[in-house]
Amino acid sequence: MAARRLKRVAASQPGFLGLKGARDTAELLGGRRKRVNKNKKKNWNKHIDVNDVEDFLEDVRHQERTTGGLLSEKPDDSLFFLDVGQPQRAEPKEEEPVEGKRKKRRGPLRIDLILQHDSLVPPPKDVLSYQQPNAKKLRRIAQKAEQLAAKGVVPRRQKRLLNRQPVNRTTKKAVTEANNNPDREYYDIWGQEPKEVGDAWFLQQTGKKRVKRPEKLNEKPSVLPAVEVIAPGGSYNPDFFSHQALLQEAHEVEVKKQKAEDKIERQLAVNREDTATEETIYQEQVEGLVEEDDEEEAAPIEEEEIASVGAITVAEKKTERQRRKERAEKLKWQRRQANRLYNNQRQQLFQLRSIKASIKQQEQTTKDNQKERLAKKEAEKAQPRRLGKLKFQAQDLEVKLSDELAGSLRQLKPEGSILKDRFKSLQKRNLIEPRERAKFKRRHKVKYVEKRAFREIS
Amino acid sequence: MGGLQKKKYERGSATNYITRNKARKKLQLSLPDFRRLCILKGIYPHEPKHKKKVNKGSTAPRTFYLLKDIRFLLHEPIVGKFREYKVFVRKLKKAYGKTEWGSVERLKDNKPTYKLDHIIKERYPTFIDALRDIEDALCMGFLFSTFARTGKCHVQTIQLCRRLTVEWMNYVITSRALKKVFISIKGIYYQAEVMGQLITWLVPYQFSHDHPTDVDYRVMATFTELYTTLMGFVNFRLYHSLNLLYPPKLDSKAELELKGEDEDDYAMNSESYLEKLSALSASLARVVSATEEEEAELDQFPVEGEDMEKMEAREKEQIEQEAQKKLFEGLKFFLNREVPRESLAFVIRCFGGEVSWDKSVCMGSTYDVTDETITHHIVDRPNIDKQYINRYYIQPQWLYDCVNAKLVLPVEDYFLGVTLPPHLSPFVEEKDGDYVPPEKLKIMALQRGENPAQEEEEEEEGEDDDEEEEEDDNDDEEDDEEEAEEKNLKKMEEQRSQGKSLPVKVTPGKMKVENPERLEQEEKAEEKRLAIMMMKKKEKYLYDKIMFGKKRKVREANKLAAKRKAFDDAEKAKKKKARK
Repeated sequence: MAARRLKRVAASQPGFLGLKGARDTAELLGGRRKRVNKNKKKNWNKHIDVNDVEDFLEDVRHQERTTGGLLSEKPDDSLFFLDVGQPQRAEPKEEEPVEGKRKKRRGPLRIDLILQHDSLVPPPKDVLSYQQPNAKKLRRIAQKAEQLAAKGVVPRRQKRLLNRQPVNRTTKKAVTEANNNPDREYYDIWGQEPKEVGDAWFLQQTGKKRVKRPEKLNEKPSVLPAVEVIAPGGSYNPDFFSHQALLQEAHEVEVKKQKAEDKIERQLAVNREDTATEETIYQEQVEGLVEEDDEEEAAPIEEEEIASVGAITVAEKKTERQRRKERAEKLKWQRRQANRLYNNQRQQLFQLRSIKASIKQQEQTTKDNQKERLAKKEAEKAQPRRLGKLKFQAQDLEVKLSDELAGSLRQLKPEGSILKDRFKSLQKRNLIEPRERAKFKRRHKVKYVEKRAFREIS
Repeated sequence: MGGLQKKKYERGSATNYITRNKARKKLQLSLPDFRRLCILKGIYPHEPKHKKKVNKGSTAPRTFYLLKDIRFLLHEPIVGKFREYKVFVRKLKKAYGKTEWGSVERLKDNKPTYKLDHIIKERYPTFIDALRDIEDALCMGFLFSTFARTGKCHVQTIQLCRRLTVEWMNYVITSRALKKVFISIKGIYYQAEVMGQLITWLVPYQFSHDHPTDVDYRVMATFTELYTTLMGFVNFRLYHSLNLLYPPKLDSKAELELKGEDEDDYAMNSESYLEKLSALSASLARVVSATEEEEAELDQFPVEGEDMEKMEAREKEQIEQEAQKKLFEGLKFFLNREVPRESLAFVIRCFGGEVSWDKSVCMGSTYDVTDETITHHIVDRPNIDKQYINRYYIQPQWLYDCVNAKLVLPVEDYFLGVTLPPHLSPFVEEKDGDYVPPEKLKIMALQRGENPAQEEEEEEEGEDDDEEEEEDDNDDEEDDEEEAEEKNLKKMEEQRSQGKSLPVKVTPGKMKVENPERLEQEEKAEEKRLAIMMMKKKEKYLYDKIMFGKKRKVREANKLAAKRKAFDDAEKAKKKKARK
């Protein structure tokens, strides 16, 4: 503010020389001045002409920007210079452009020059960036802390931090130790029973007591042993006959598979009778054109149908006599039946031996059936059950053909995979259900696009 | 008619079962988690008797569980852990997505884990229960320990499996429990007797894995998780039963012996101890240090009569077993670099032999090739350049065959470059009448203490014939004698009828020598004959059938033996020709 006022004062002095030159004040003075009340701010704003002031200020700013201060305040030396004619630098100037084309220009780019800050007024300082909120308070606190530190007094917060118990890291690690940690520790799990802490009833009610495992769950779902040893023919250096036996077994399995495959193929094959021959084609073309006497045959059937429908409707009411007769007949039939039953029973007295024999036979058959069923049940215990969508499928027998047999342990090439063997064994013993690997399903079709580079080649 | 109408599928088997999906929903678990839980807890799917009833009229194939089993699962604390883990994974994913590495670290530090100890205790209430189920665990452990440490499963799991299997092998060595070995084309089968239980396991050959695609690795890993826990506890108990330190420590004496080499070349410091253990060449440290344990004598109880005989038989058996355990004691082996080191070292050490190998093959070798006291050098190549005169150079099969035959077999058949005799499966037990390969017959003869080296062939034939005829003989002998007597009588009668005077003479009597054994046999045979005579028609029919079956078996065995004989003869002839 102080600076501005000073400038204005300077400008109002008679020696002040505006850069833009004096505006013709005649226009301002020439017009008739409008009379307005000057007690209203609005009127002041509207009717007072401030252009002269604005122009003046603009001029001041311009001077400041370009020359770094008011021209009127500058010393004469900085404004004027002594003209002593053309400087003699014409010759080197002519040479320069020739070299300049080839040489790199040393100076900055023109664009940078344009963008350079060319005002001589320094940019205003951002006060806020130098200010610190609560600076005074903070300074005081820091001073006090320094004083206390010099005395050796520790502030309370720091004291609390120092006094805190160090966290026991080791115990935490024990909790989060993974199950498959190779250095994990074991102990005697079957040695001593853990003591029950607290009341049994309380533990049970609060769900802290382990539920007892039902005995039945400890039964194995199959009687098969965990490790089935391969047949003696599977030795790396087998006896001739046992090897042949194993090969035979594998062969049978293979034949069975082949048969099943063939069967499917046969079923899928095109039936010779279904293919069209010339005759059938001709027949098809002629169908319906040649008249046959089917219609005549159809007619009488219809008539019969009508007659039968009529018979149902003609059910007449029975007469009293008919009813009586029927009743009597029924009674008679019942009596005869009873008589026959009685007779039969009496007859059976004499047939006791044969009846006994037949009962015995019956019992025998049931017993046999029971035995058979039991045997079947026993046999089934060793069989894999149907536990899901898929049936258990045994893996291929591991076999080495006679010419593949290695003469020594060094040359032996292992057959089959033990991982698969174990997996199949688990399935066979009904521990897990047989499953198929989940298939990858594409949700959207893949679009085939030939890349440009590739297309050029092909 | 009163009462409410019975609705279908509201009682009976339909309510006893639950489908897998329903069970899953009841437990609020995802399918993989559910599967894992079932494996860990030992709950397996069931096949209901009447599927249609259980499936509420539908015949679609489903997996069923018993409802009671699932209800039991509801009490499992691990279910809660699974849910926690699910949440953990979700949080971790979120933190990753937001690239908040600080919280990722924090979450990883607090990763929820669980232990299976209580499940082991629950599933195997006693130690013997656990031991009975150890076969699966062993197979799985050995299998996983041979996996390459690639991304197929956790490296930690592989390491743990390796550690546990090495511990197991060391136990078997120390307790000398190995009984049978069978080298098959799949892998090596071992059988050991641990605490009266016969335990069989299968060890894959090294570096033989091609990972099959149709095996669910997640399921296998879950089984392994359970089994590693089980095996650890079993190992602990077994080691303590032998007064060994657990985790195993090498004997201080042995350790000194091994110390000489520069260990850093073989393994990292953290793994070198395990490697040394897995070399199997040193004995383990005991809790009660190396005082020679005196052999525990069997308690003698005064017994009489039949028990006495049994006792004697048992004692004899025990002595034999003790002898078998010391099969290779005093022998010193050296393994050439091409033989399977671990398997051979295991077998040799199980029977008290000393073993070493080239320093560059593996850690833990105890002596060099140049050692003069080596008795057997195991080689698996056609010939070797530098041979020492005072040791046998033999092929590895000799060791396995010795173990199966339970005696030190003659080494001649197993020399370098010799065509080996077949490696027979020790897991086959022939019943009488079955075909027995001649090699096995030879071994059996050796076991009996005979030396069939010279009279091999004759004996083979003779034995076969004997077996074949034995059955008939028992029956026929009696008949023959009777016939002879009858003939005599007939002759006499004929002569008498012809009116000739009999040449009556008194001759000095001959003392009839009664052979008590023979008498006894006769008596037995007579009893048998009578019993056969007294049989009912039906039983007789059955008996005949059985006998016929036996004879047929013998006949078939004979046929095979004859075939073999012909084969052998042909081979021999060929050889002779070749020699000429």
